[in-house]
Amino acid sequence: MYSAPDSYPIELPTFHSEINLPYTLTPGRAAGTFLAEVKNRRIIGSRFASGRVIAPAQDFSPADGEEPEAFVEAPQTGVLTAFTRVDGQVIGFIRLDGCDNEFPHRILARLEDLAAGQRVAAEWDAGVEQSVLAIKGFVPAPDAPVGTVKPLDATEEPLGVIPYAMKLDFEHAYGPYYGRMFDEIRENGRIMGVRQPGLDAALLPPREIDDITHARTGTWKACADTGTIRACSIINMEVYGVTRKVPYVYAEIVLDGASTRMIHVIEIDDLETAKKTIKPGTRVRAVWVEGERKGRVSDIERFEVIDA
Amino acid sequence: MGRHVGIVGVGQTHHSRRRTDVSQAGLVREAVDRALADARLSMDDIDTIVVASGPVLFAAVNQPEKWVVDAIGAQGKSVVRVTSGGGAGFAGALAGYYQVAGGFSDRTLVVAYDKLSEGQLQYSISTLYDPFWGREFAVGIMGFSAAYWRARMDVLGHTEEAAAMVAAKNRNNAIDNPYAHQKKPVTVEDVLNSKPLCWPIKLLDVPPISDGAAAIVLASEKVAHHSTGRPAWIRGIAYCCEADNAAERSLMLSEPLALASRQVYRAAGITNPRRQFDVVEVQEPYSCFELNYYESLGLCPPGQAADLIASGATQRDGDIPVNPSGGCMGANPIGAVGVIRLIEAATQVMGRNETHQIKDASLALVQSGGGWANLRGCAVLSA
Repeated sequence: MYSAPDSYPIELPTFHSEINLPYTLTPGRAAGTFLAEVKNRRIIGSRFASGRVIAPAQDFSPADGEEPEAFVEAPQTGVLTAFTRVDGQVIGFIRLDGCDNEFPHRILARLEDLAAGQRVAAEWDAGVEQSVLAIKGFVPAPDAPVGTVKPLDATEEPLGVIPYAMKLDFEHAYGPYYGRMFDEIRENGRIMGVRQPGLDAALLPPREIDDITHARTGTWKACADTGTIRACSIINMEVYGVTRKVPYVYAEIVLDGASTRMIHVIEIDDLETAKKTIKPGTRVRAVWVEGERKGRVSDIERFEVIDA
Repeated sequence: MGRHVGIVGVGQTHHSRRRTDVSQAGLVREAVDRALADARLSMDDIDTIVVASGPVLFAAVNQPEKWVVDAIGAQGKSVVRVTSGGGAGFAGALAGYYQVAGGFSDRTLVVAYDKLSEGQLQYSISTLYDPFWGREFAVGIMGFSAAYWRARMDVLGHTEEAAAMVAAKNRNNAIDNPYAHQKKPVTVEDVLNSKPLCWPIKLLDVPPISDGAAAIVLASEKVAHHSTGRPAWIRGIAYCCEADNAAERSLMLSEPLALASRQVYRAAGITNPRRQFDVVEVQEPYSCFELNYYESLGLCPPGQAADLIASGATQRDGDIPVNPSGGCMGANPIGAVGVIRLIEAATQVMGRNETHQIKDASLALVQSGGGWANLRGCAVLSA
């Protein structure tokens, strides 16, 4: 008998997290040549030994992986083979005249005016270079003559690097254990863990099941905001995404009453002194932010060494 | 016990800080072409394919295997992607090994790569941290690695000098490696005097950031002889994990590596690793890691890694050479490194390493790992 447990989802606040990353992507020879050539208002394709033409140009045939024997100039006209509307914008597949693949792009027309099989032509965007969006989109062109693929004598040097960026937003669910821990940090300014099975020492962050014994963890326990450094290093380089002034100490700290580590930072004046004064075993205390707590680990602004 | 599996063809790119002439897919293609040519095979002869690379955030292409498949002409074949941080290449090889050993494939191509010039390496690695608990203070893998090296200094005597000896050894070994791209002679003093980045990790303790790909062809005993008269047989391979933030996790010794080596040594009949192995290839993301591996792999007892490196035994002319290729210090395209280490060990036991052959090498140990130092594996290769 398969029976569903008596549980149900509850709508609760989430934890917002962002990942922001800049990139320098490498398009390779074929795509790099296509992107370099859009400023000349040409669509560059790849011609393979089989006679197949793929546009925009590709380094490897999507049919069998073979490498192109030449770059060619593809026509700027073709046939619309499929289309849809996304966020009010029409996108479609275009089979350029004389080419063997579908080129996805914007269709600059109303959805209701389109039909699969109709002729379309590229419209360029004067303000854009080095991007597939230099072609603004394809417009219906019922009378456009059928174009032909033309050989090329010379092409621009391929672009080696294309700047790109990603911003990813996440809404993580806390779950009951993290939820209670962060509520306690925000409301009461205390760090709560749960006891290891059969022991008094608390696991931080709290969790339902002990990692080693796989037994259910015990009752909640407030840990102190003082603790001992288990491991530490002195950050002395600029890293993308880290805004804190260097040098400072990255520390893995076991709070008094806990058995697992918390990651935090300790401010220092200079590297040479910190090498000697801050090490595994050094006693530290939390320095909380002034003002309203938000219910995150950064409600503790930093840790500081407890003078012996 | 499964079927015997051999490495019968190998290929890698000339790794570099930045390859602007090829895309990620083009990079993979180069390594695959070389491995297939080396195995005297074409793509038609390959049954299954494993594509391995590091975290997607390294180079912003999600599900890259669909791009790679087109570029290597593998349409219609069985393809899986494996990713496991720094151990991605090794985990990919393990997945390929299972396919051949299990009898589901006679020839499996494993290709691993990363194109690290394209993204933000340490920031991407920081996203491995728990977003609630630690990520806002993360400094990639470097802050963490340096912190536990600092702790091992006190407990196990892994001094800055000992790690500097590792860095100098590997950097100088890399000079002869035709595939390495960082090839400057370096002294122990140079390493010690280099700029602290995450102290105790200094600039010359850190490998380069690289673009590169590496591929191997795995074959069953039945078909291996079509490619080579002397395959590198995989005598044992394992990849183990441990809990991320458990109370018992000290990070002094690498427990998952000790577990993996115990398992692999039993399979391969290794009772005295220091005496039995002719050559060792390890993945050392920072110099300090190699000291840790000496102990977890049983090349020396815990606490004696500094003595082992100081004795010269792990130099290329020592009794247990470690990273005669230069290891990660010559090139570090992270996701590919597990396969690069396998290639280095395989060419040693096949007796065909052109530039840094260890004389009469017939038994080699390979180590690789990923994740938060909590995924560690090793393999034994023999002639």
